[in-house]
Amino acid sequence: MKRLDMSDRDDRGGGRPEVIALSFPARADLVALARFTAASVGARAGFDVEEIEDLRLAVDELVVSFEAVQAGGTIHLRYTHDAGTVTIECTVEPGLRSHPSEGIAGGELWGGDGELSRQLLDALVDEHGREQRQGRPCVWLRKHRANASA
Amino acid sequence: MTQVSEDNGPLVVVDGEIDLAVAPSLRERLETLLAAGHSTLYLDLLDATFLDSTALGVLVTVREQCQRAGGALHLIVTEPRILKVLEITGLATAFPLHGSRPDLAGTDQGDETTRHE
Repeated sequence: MKRLDMSDRDDRGGGRPEVIALSFPARADLVALARFTAASVGARAGFDVEEIEDLRLAVDELVVSFEAVQAGGTIHLRYTHDAGTVTIECTVEPGLRSHPSEGIAGGELWGGDGELSRQLLDALVDEHGREQRQGRPCVWLRKHRANASA
Repeated sequence: MTQVSEDNGPLVVVDGEIDLAVAPSLRERLETLLAAGHSTLYLDLLDATFLDSTALGVLVTVREQCQRAGGALHLIVTEPRILKVLEITGLATAFPLHGSRPDLAGTDQGDETTRHE
């Protein structure tokens, strides 16, 4: 893990959004870090146990959708929670051995189990998508707390 | 990941979180058993706590290989989170599911099953 930053602390969305950034080498054995952080953010956002478990699986699906996890590079995750809503964005910085983020678009973004990932994300979160950001692929999700007032 | 011998067929026991880091070794273990001539395999997920799409992909692939060989891939699972994943993806009916190892005695194979600690 290269970095774990917490800024603008604010519990339960009473004020400014809380943002947590996590970066780690794109290795399969480190994907658990993404799940661990998602659980912490979900708890801080007031999610119940079921919602936290949904979030853990959903962020796992975001990360494994990048072939870069197997090819090298660096995974960057940005977790934001605001008023009972958690947003997670995932981008990949290619490593010397990897090339998946160059010119990748659309369905190519998804790994070999993309259809299963899509089914899981559809069921687990309120919104999810993929897009190009600054020339790099970004996958993201958004999940609202069930009892969120917003 | 451990493997024990069952009368009905090989039983592989996996605990903890089955994700991208574990899926390749799980696939290798199951495919090794298939290559050894076993067409029916049992996967004990009673102590597994997490299953993602990469692990599901392994199960689907091995299931197809078992079926082509005339057998099946049986799952022993009670964890609600894993059952939920199977249901979301429409795979809950794709595998013979069992709530415990002794339940296997009632499957079509009909042989007595031994519990392994």
